[in-house]
Amino acid sequence: MAYLERASPTLKETLLKIYRAEKPIEVDQHFHEFGSIEYHIKYSVSDPNIVHVSTSTLLETQGAVTLKEISSYTYEVIKNIGVGVIDIVDPPRLGFQLTLGLNLDNIPRGKEAIKIITRISELQAIILSSQLKEMLRSLNFQDDSRSINNMPIRIVYHPSEPFYVFKQPEKITAVFPMNFKDNSDVVIATSFFQDMGKAPQCSWSPIPPLQLRGEPVQDLTTNSGFVSFDITSRHIEGKRLDKTVWNLLNFYACAKYHIKCSRGYIQRRMRKRMETLVKLLNNTSLEEEAAQNENGRCKYVKEFVKVPKGKLMMKQRCKEMTRRVKISKFRIKINGCARFRFNQRWISLPKFSSKPSDKSYTKLD
Amino acid sequence: MANSLRLYLACIKNTLEAAMCLQNFPCQEVERHNKPEVELKTSPELLLNPVLICRNEAEKCLIETSINSLRISLKVKQADELENILTKKFLRFLSMRAEAFQVLRRKPVQGYDISFLITNYHCEEMQKQKLIDFIIQFMEDIEKEIRDLKESVNTRGRLVATEFLKQFITNDAIYTEKLNVRHHSSRFSASPSPSLSNFVLRRPGELLQIPAITQLQIENFYGLGNVI
Repeated sequence: MAYLERASPTLKETLLKIYRAEKPIEVDQHFHEFGSIEYHIKYSVSDPNIVHVSTSTLLETQGAVTLKEISSYTYEVIKNIGVGVIDIVDPPRLGFQLTLGLNLDNIPRGKEAIKIITRISELQAIILSSQLKEMLRSLNFQDDSRSINNMPIRIVYHPSEPFYVFKQPEKITAVFPMNFKDNSDVVIATSFFQDMGKAPQCSWSPIPPLQLRGEPVQDLTTNSGFVSFDITSRHIEGKRLDKTVWNLLNFYACAKYHIKCSRGYIQRRMRKRMETLVKLLNNTSLEEEAAQNENGRCKYVKEFVKVPKGKLMMKQRCKEMTRRVKISKFRIKINGCARFRFNQRWISLPKFSSKPSDKSYTKLD
Repeated sequence: MANSLRLYLACIKNTLEAAMCLQNFPCQEVERHNKPEVELKTSPELLLNPVLICRNEAEKCLIETSINSLRISLKVKQADELENILTKKFLRFLSMRAEAFQVLRRKPVQGYDISFLITNYHCEEMQKQKLIDFIIQFMEDIEKEIRDLKESVNTRGRLVATEFLKQFITNDAIYTEKLNVRHHSSRFSASPSPSLSNFVLRRPGELLQIPAITQLQIENFYGLGNVI
C-alpha cells in the first residue's frame, strides 16, 4: 500500500542516524509499515562501510499472493539513485524481495547525502510505482481489437483494499471499491465521492461497473460505492506516468486522511460551540448580580455587609478564649512556683474600672 | 423560511414563559425525597397537559410541565444523511457533557434529538427569562452550527477533490494557471478550465460563499501547518 509521503520516515531516520554517527553503531532493525511493507536494516561494527537494507511488499494479483519479482528496469532505477552507492545483493535476504548494500563511503557529503538517503527511503514507492507503471504501459499498448478479452486486473497492495484496472476503448479505467467501518465515515466519504464523481475523468457509482462481473463478491460488496478514474494515453506519457501512478496508489490513503481530518475538524467545532453555549448559560445566573452592580451601587456593598458579621464572630471567639484562660488559670499548678500562687494577681487580666467597689474578689488557693 | 423559524421560536418562547412556573414540591410517594415529577409521572394531578409545537414534520418541540419541573424535547431538522450524522454526533456530544449545562438531560426523550430538564432549583439559581432566552438561543445555534458544519465539510471535500484531481487533468498548463490565479485572489473570480467548469462552479450562488483559499489553508487542512 502506498502512502502520502514517498519516503519512509523510519527508514530515513535510521539511515541518517547511521550516516551521522561518529562511531559505528550496531543496528539490526526490523519494522513494518502500513501492515504490508516490511523493512530490515542491518549495520554491523565489523563492516562499518556497508548498510544492508532489505524490503518486501505484499502484492496480490489475480488472487495469488506472491512476492513478485522486480523487473530489471526497476533495478536500474534503484541503482541510479546513487551511482556507486547502491549495490543490489543477489540473492536477497530470506523472506525479502530486495536487499540493497549501501556504501557509506561513496555517499557525497553535505546536502547531497540527505538527498540520496531520502531517495533510498523512497524504495518501496519506487518498487510499487514501477510495477503499476509497467502494467499501465502494457495495457496501453495493447491492440483495441483484443480489448474484448481484457479481463480486469485485480491489484492488492494492502489487505482488504484491492482495486481493479481494465482496458476500455481509448482509455484505461481504474476502479476502487470503497469500504469504511464507521457509519459516519461512510456518510462523509459518500458525500465526498459524489462530489468528486462530478469531475471529468472521474466517476462514482453505488454499483460496480459491468466489467467487474464475475469478480469475487467480497470485493464488490461496499458501503461507499465505486470510484473510477479514466486514464488516457496522455496520462501515461513521459513524466506524467509517475504522477498518475502515484495518485492511483495513494487514493485510498488520501480518502482516509480526508475523512480523518474532517472528523477532527467536526470535533473541534463542536467543542468550540459547546464552550460558547456553556458561557451563555453561566451568564444567566451571574448577570443579575452584574446588573445590580452596574446600577451605580457600591460594588463592595456585599463585602461591607459581610464584614461586621465576621468581626462579631471574632469578638465572640476572643471572649471565649479569654474566659477559658480565666478558668484554666485556677487549675494551673506549676511545681516550684508555689510562692507565686498566693499572689496570682500577676496572671489575672487587669480590669480597668473607675469604681473601686467594682473590684471583684479573686479567690486564692 | 426565516419567518417561519421566528414564528416557531416565538411560539416556544411564549409557551415556556407560561409553563415555567415551578415551585418546590416534595415527593408524595417517598418521604424526604424531592423528585422531578415530570420524569416520574406517578401523580397525574401534578402534571400539566404537554404541549407539542411543530414547525413541520421534521421539526418539533415537546414541552411537558409538572409542578416542580419542566421537560423540553427538541427534534432538529435533518434534510439528508450528512445532516443526520452531524446532528446525531453534535447532540450526543452535548448530551454526554450534560453536567456542564446543568439543565440538559443526558439522554433525549424517545423520538427526539435532545432534551432539557428544568427544575425549581434551576429557577431559583437562574433567572427565568434568561433561561428561556438560553433555550431559544440554543435552538438557533444548533441549527446554524449544523448548517455551517455541513457546508464546511462539503467545501473541504471539494477542495481535496480539486487538489487530487489536478493530476488527472490533461490540460495541465491552463488548469495550473487558472488555479494559481484563484489561489492568489480573494475570491474565486477567475473561471477555471472549461473541463472543470461544472465541477467547481456547479452552484453559482456558492461561489461568493467560498472563502479565500490559499495554499497555506490547504496545508493547514492536512495538518501540515498550524491548525486553523
